[in-house]
Amino acid sequence: MTKRIFRSVFLASLVVFLAGLALVVGALYNYFTEHQAQQLRVEARLAAHGVEKNGLDYFDGLDESAVRLTWIDSDGTVIYDTDADADDMESHTEREEFREALEYGYGEGERTSSTLSEKTVYYAIRLSDGTVLRTSESHYTVPTLLMGIIQPLVLILVLALVLSGWLASRLSKRIVGPLNAIDLDKPLENDVYDELSPLLTRVEHQQRQISDQLEELTRRREEFEAITDSMSEGLIVIDSTGLVMSVNPSAREIFGVDRSSEGRDVLTIDRSPELRALLEKSASGERGEVYINRGEREYMLTASPVITEGGKRGTVLLAVDVTEKLRAERLRREFTANVSHELKTPLHSIMGAAELLQSGLVKPEDQERFLSRIRSEAARLVELVQDVINLSRLDEGEELPREDTDMYALAREVSANVADEAERRGVKLSVTGESATVYGVRRLLWEIVWNLAENAVKYSKPEGGTANIDVHKLENGRVRVTVSDNGVGIPKDQQERVFERFYRVDKSHSRETGGTGLGLSIVKHAAQYHNADIAMDSEPGKGTKISVTF
Amino acid sequence: MRIKFDEQLALLNHELIAMGALCEEAIATTSRAVLDNDRALSERVRTLEYEIDQKEREIETICLKLLLQQQPVASDLRLISAALKMITDMERIGDQALDISDTAGFMGPVAPEDAGALGDLARTVIGMVTDSVDAFVRQDQAAARAVVKRDDEADALFDKIKKSIIERLENSKGEGEYSLDLLMIAKYLERIGDHATNIAEWVEFAETGQYKGGEVI
Repeated sequence: MTKRIFRSVFLASLVVFLAGLALVVGALYNYFTEHQAQQLRVEARLAAHGVEKNGLDYFDGLDESAVRLTWIDSDGTVIYDTDADADDMESHTEREEFREALEYGYGEGERTSSTLSEKTVYYAIRLSDGTVLRTSESHYTVPTLLMGIIQPLVLILVLALVLSGWLASRLSKRIVGPLNAIDLDKPLENDVYDELSPLLTRVEHQQRQISDQLEELTRRREEFEAITDSMSEGLIVIDSTGLVMSVNPSAREIFGVDRSSEGRDVLTIDRSPELRALLEKSASGERGEVYINRGEREYMLTASPVITEGGKRGTVLLAVDVTEKLRAERLRREFTANVSHELKTPLHSIMGAAELLQSGLVKPEDQERFLSRIRSEAARLVELVQDVINLSRLDEGEELPREDTDMYALAREVSANVADEAERRGVKLSVTGESATVYGVRRLLWEIVWNLAENAVKYSKPEGGTANIDVHKLENGRVRVTVSDNGVGIPKDQQERVFERFYRVDKSHSRETGGTGLGLSIVKHAAQYHNADIAMDSEPGKGTKISVTF
Repeated sequence: MRIKFDEQLALLNHELIAMGALCEEAIATTSRAVLDNDRALSERVRTLEYEIDQKEREIETICLKLLLQQQPVASDLRLISAALKMITDMERIGDQALDISDTAGFMGPVAPEDAGALGDLARTVIGMVTDSVDAFVRQDQAAARAVVKRDDEADALFDKIKKSIIERLENSKGEGEYSLDLLMIAKYLERIGDHATNIAEWVEFAETGQYKGGEVI
């Protein structure tokens, strides 16, 4: 801008200067020549007067004349000339001023010399005797004049150039200076040219708009981050070129990366074949799901392409921890399989016995045995169904009426209930401890103690086995029921699993011991219902001790 | 112009990681094929090898385009030239993975007494390939140098297998063909380790301009 202003000012002043110079020179020259012609006429009249009076003698009294005088006879021969010898001069009949003078009394003419450097102006007057007196004066033409004063002219021009250059640069700086000094951060606080105020107002307006939008964006990003940061699911946002836009903390934990992966290729986070296949699918605009293993846990990765009117904008990857879900599914499948198996076995033997009876193949004395088999298997079925019902009730978590229950009394009742079984197996069953009250659902408490006691009796040593139910209060006011035996025990690696439904340490599903495989599962759920803790201490071959602390 | 350039560089980066991942999968699959004697897996290895070859060609094209059209300098040039070298090694890894699974097809199951050492070698080499790709992904020079160091481990394991084969042949109780196939597989694995080392060295070069401890450009 400075340059442009400088150039304009400089050129303008130069043009003005040159034009001025030309006009002045032209005007002066015109004035000068006009003046000269006037003088020439006056001079001619004076000389004519003299010549009329004195004839040729007039010229003698004229020692030095400013103008050239020529006296020409009417036939064109030169009579006298002040500057040249009259005899050498040619006839002047053809000269226009001579002819005009002969005709009208006076005549004018001008001729430029062959070199164009001089111009001669003539003025002729006809005298009374018919002769013509002519005055003439030469002066330089404009180009010659200019050539003559070229040196001072150049000097002036140079001076003018320097001056206009200096002025132009000062001017341009003066004009641009305030523009440069404008503080664009606070456009309205500037006091510069009025012409700029619409622009500055606009700048101010747009600045405000931008800062508003920026604030809005920041707020939205913070909101987005606040939401994604607290998500338990891993969330990765990928742009259309495959670069990671954001990774939330859960995703960082799942894939073991840090924030530095943001802005880099998605494959830097994970490049497993599953994910690559998923990304390819998403690149073609399809949603996809895949299960991956990371460490001990299983995740379901969902890739959803983000498609707007402008085409594909990117992909959102969501990693959901499905370890529990898959485990629950597996358990449910196992449970269903187990239930069907457990139901089928007694039904088969019932059906077999019934068929034999129906076909009359059973001897009358054996009928009693078959019938009792049918009865006991049916009883087992009822027991099983009852257990399943109990469990599903617990699963549903319905609220049951609670009451104060004396655990010691309960233990004695249970002991009396399983006494027959204990006697049959030769197990010595005992109840020890003190009276302790628990506020809970009596039926469930009964289930806990009964199942534990039954297990203790069943899995105690066949001969000389012992089983003990102990109830006592702890110092912190809690109540602990401990059921112990000296039987087969449970291997360490299976102690966790015995609380699973239908899980049996003895895989052969042996019927010897009876039971449904749901006992400990019921204990666990019932204990959970009462917020009680279960502890197990068992060693294979030495016995098992399970305690429930309310 | 620069935006286009950056886009192409990002694409190059993406494709390199993808190719590295394919190599990892190929060598892991082929090792399973050998150690578990699972024929079905060798088909997968063949597909992977084909994909690796395709990727090599794609990356080559990207690199040459970048070189010709963008005239990259400094670190960009280093990355592109390193990429050109790395894909050669990766392509070799793919080839050798296929060779291994082919050889394993003739050989039949690995004898239990060899399974241990061969498994160790395979695990070491898989680890090296994974680590070299990781080093590239994370631009981690320390990891790259660790891969170079680990090559000695792979070499030692190969020597151990070789010695046990020699011993068996001297006692003239091993079947000759089986022993040779086993030796070949071990050798291929060892070569894959070397290629992983090369990749790691080029990763270091792309980052620092140092190749095998010396300045190249």
